Amino acid sequence: MTDGQAILTAHGVRLAPGAVPIDFAIGPGEIVGLAGLEGHGQEAFIQALCGLNRPEAGEIRLQGKDGRAVQVTEFAKAAAQGLAYLPRDRRTTGMLGGLSVFDNFAIAALPDHQRLGIVDRPRLREKLAHFTRELAMVYRSPHASIGTLSGGNQQKVLLARWLTREPRVMLMNDPTRGVDLGTRMKLYEVFRRLAADQGIPLVILSSEIEEILQLCHRVLVFREARLFAELDRETMTMDRVIAAMFGQEAA
Amino acid sequence: MPSWLAGRSYLRLALGLFVVLLAVNIALNPVRFAPASLGVTIGLASGLILAAIASMPPILAGRGGIDISVGPLMGLVNVVVVRWLVEGLGIESPFLIVPLVLLLGLLSGALNGLLATVLRIQPIVATLGTSLFYAGITLTIVPSPAGTVPGWIKALAGPTSIVPLAAVALLWLLVKRLPFYEQLLCVGSDDRAAYTAGIPVTLVRFLAYVLAGLVAAVGGLCLTGLIGSADPNIAGTYTLLAISAVALGGVSLAGGRGGLVAAVLGAADIFLLQTALTFFNVSTFVLQIVYGTVLTVAVVLNADRLRQLLRRRRHA
Repeated sequence: MTDGQAILTAHGVRLAPGAVPIDFAIGPGEIVGLAGLEGHGQEAFIQALCGLNRPEAGEIRLQGKDGRAVQVTEFAKAAAQGLAYLPRDRRTTGMLGGLSVFDNFAIAALPDHQRLGIVDRPRLREKLAHFTRELAMVYRSPHASIGTLSGGNQQKVLLARWLTREPRVMLMNDPTRGVDLGTRMKLYEVFRRLAADQGIPLVILSSEIEEILQLCHRVLVFREARLFAELDRETMTMDRVIAAMFGQEAA
Repeated sequence: MPSWLAGRSYLRLALGLFVVLLAVNIALNPVRFAPASLGVTIGLASGLILAAIASMPPILAGRGGIDISVGPLMGLVNVVVVRWLVEGLGIESPFLIVPLVLLLGLLSGALNGLLATVLRIQPIVATLGTSLFYAGITLTIVPSPAGTVPGWIKALAGPTSIVPLAAVALLWLLVKRLPFYEQLLCVGSDDRAAYTAGIPVTLVRFLAYVLAGLVAAVGGLCLTGLIGSADPNIAGTYTLLAISAVALGGVSLAGGRGGLVAAVLGAADIFLLQTALTFFNVSTFVLQIVYGTVLTVAVVLNADRLRQLLRRRRHA
């Protein structure tokens, strides 16, 4: 992939002092997995990609909404340019616990949904109804507290939160953690559609290799804060990914 | 109305207290609460009500957000208006005084916001610093009570006392329809989650302090009308009363829960308690004891922990 058509790129990103720099690019419709043993750099990498953590060195570039490349330095600014991030720990960094389904859904999209500065609630309500159908969300009422929803439905609300902003790229940190199997399959279907139909590139960090094998076109395996191996559709098997996670060259 | 209240269960206590205290007050002193004297009565309360509204936004913004410079800022507004604007420059027109007062409020709010959110000094320390600073300037400008004020300012504590309150209420209604309001509640309820939702957390908190300064300045103007002169010693007490009012109204000091109605009800409760007790000529010391007791009991009754315990009891 050349940088010309890439939507999100990383150049010379170092996750720890002295680590081997990482180059990365993702283009339209691609689904890339990130794997590794807990704490081996994949989480730091995805957070660097979205501007939540400054890497030791290197730069991240995002092709912004107007088509010009912008440097990703701060999450809120990158988010305004079409970057979406689904955090791993829904409870502490994803959902706003005391607030309603509607508030949780609408919060990120507020800047795009106003008329003369006033929040356009009717349009946001329509959007929520749209995504409720699209993602098969189940909740009692838009005013119900998000805490009353199942884990899968909470995750769908957070996903819908970002989809309303019509993201140019989505980064997801363990998106099906604590989600039941049925919902998980529904989410996989949604992810595939986002990539295939809308061309949105997805970066998925997952602690479940099975998930990566099912969804991703290629996987980056991290080991000791560096990119240890990159496997594509042909070379990507459970054994090889696990071997790479433990630092063994693929047999 | 019931559905509106259902989503704001934290208001119940302050509302109940308000109804009871209002009834007691009307029974004790029907003249004061007759429609004809309502302007004066509201004028007596408006300083505290505005101070409570001003205290609310930084508290809503969470993570220890608080503005304890509200009272001293009101005092500063008072002496600046009387000594500098009216006596010094001979300005008496509301069209000059009101914008200048609002500007002073905005600047003070921006200063607090800069210290507490951009430089991330603990809000209580940052606003303690500015409040000492304002109290000092106030005493330098007017060491002891002096001066007079134009008629229209006096009227703010009388016939037109509803005007500043209505203006602030309108401002709040407008704020509620802006993205800022939703963002403020989100930041207050969970700043990390708000940050990962792409909300400019620091900016939102900064604006909460600016709003506080603006409303406190209006409160300072009302106070000026009430005392009819420059008095450097009165306004300081408003800070703690305002924070008590906000807590009594059920606004969570941890952030994310509360609103204008809560602040107004809390302030009205304290005011009504004050008038009821002064009717019996209770000494100010006893008054303080009662404030303290009511506040503590109210906050305890509103505590989430207590509710949880009671709920668990019921289920067990």
